Amino acid sequence: MSEILPWITLVVCAGAALARLPSAVRGVNPTLFFIFLLATAAGILSIEQFYVAIDGALGGINIAHVVLRLIVFATIYLIAVRVTKGFGAPDAHRMIAGRPGLAMLGIFSAALVTVFLLMEPAASSVRFRDAGAASARNEALLPYYWAAARGYLAYVSLALLPALLRSVKESLPPLVRTGAALMAAGAVATVAGLCLEFAPPQILVVAPAVNNGAVVFYIAGLVLVWLARVKAASRGGHGTSSTER
Amino acid sequence: MPLPAKAFQRWLHGVAPDASVADVARASGVKRTTLAQQLVRGKVAEATVVGISRAFNINPVAALGSFEPYRDLGKPPIPPTLQELVSQIATADLLHAIISRTEPDAGTGKGTGPPGLSAPPHATSVKNWVDAIDDGELRHRVSTATGVAPQNYSAQLTANRLAPELAVATSRAAGVGLASGLVAAGLVTEAEAGWPPGARQAALDSMTDGELTVLAGERLQALGKTLRRQEHDQRQTETIWENLG
Repeated sequence: MSEILPWITLVVCAGAALARLPSAVRGVNPTLFFIFLLATAAGILSIEQFYVAIDGALGGINIAHVVLRLIVFATIYLIAVRVTKGFGAPDAHRMIAGRPGLAMLGIFSAALVTVFLLMEPAASSVRFRDAGAASARNEALLPYYWAAARGYLAYVSLALLPALLRSVKESLPPLVRTGAALMAAGAVATVAGLCLEFAPPQILVVAPAVNNGAVVFYIAGLVLVWLARVKAASRGGHGTSSTER
Repeated sequence: MPLPAKAFQRWLHGVAPDASVADVARASGVKRTTLAQQLVRGKVAEATVVGISRAFNINPVAALGSFEPYRDLGKPPIPPTLQELVSQIATADLLHAIISRTEPDAGTGKGTGPPGLSAPPHATSVKNWVDAIDDGELRHRVSTATGVAPQNYSAQLTANRLAPELAVATSRAAGVGLASGLVAAGLVTEAEAGWPPGARQAALDSMTDGELTVLAGERLQALGKTLRRQEHDQRQTETIWENLG
């Protein structure tokens, strides 16, 4: 079951990126395409066959995993910047793209890379799962690695959550509100993903579903908001049609 | 609650025994396909009966009264109250009246006094009418009598719409003339509802300067609130499109 989940995530992300390609070529919100593209790249790196091949090219010591985590940081950062601007949440925007937000990004990225460098090189394994078995030091450091990897995502998600929940309640087009609700679900799943890192092993089996669900919810939410605009434009409602821009 | 097709066919046979569906559609201005569809579904809209009645010179209110749910519309009409009459004067007409009272020579330039009142309904007819007859418990009673949830009822009022059966139910619950709500909803004209000619003008003339000014002020305040909310929603939606569309 947990083997098929990354594939579903990849298909969703790649589908969104492909669908967004024509808009990006026209120059409409290229960031959105870039977000989907990064998510697709992260999706590819989460699949065993691709991971092993790419990591092999990078020396076979799991550097690809650090790259993957940094790609995920970049993806959620861009999503958060767009969402806080779009949904008008200046406070959340400051917490993510302002000085405190960039400081958090720097701290978590530095911590991630530092912990990785402190570990002894381990053979390529997708999701870094065999790294702990390489040595006792690695096993002790691994929780810190994951705390850094998931900590930033949870921080950004917590900062986003109030703005998303507020937008669900406001009198916006129904598709926008549904999109905001999906992204809020993504934020909750992201925070749950961090908590699961410290959970007892019995409930760890749900972790892949939670972590993949978070990505799918975020991406699906963004797609829905975009569709709301397509709908509004085709009815001549608010918003300029995307061909005019 | 639309009218059953069977009862409608019986009524139509009494009104125009020899007319085909196409003839009826042509005479009444109801689209032929619309009429055919309503007959197939077994539910005929009240507006269809009104349109056909007008084409065959029958009073639409009396025509509706020949259908079971509207039986009591056939009774002799209760004259509208002063508040109801005033509620069906457009805000712009109230403002005209204020100007012509304070500066009798200014304004139209025709020298024949203020222009005639525009026919109901106006942009906030439904809500103004319900407010005019509301004793504080009216909405609650309508909701109990019809089973329509209060928030759905309020949503109709805000959208300046009122389903015919709700309009009649509101009149019943308030103990006012049964056709008044149909006037406010724009289904029938004031003359068809049995309002005496010039009744609204007479009601307006009977208001003191103070009453008129306070009423116009309330209308402007409500209008201003609605416009500001619309502008706010519009701006918000545009920000979303700019960043996430």
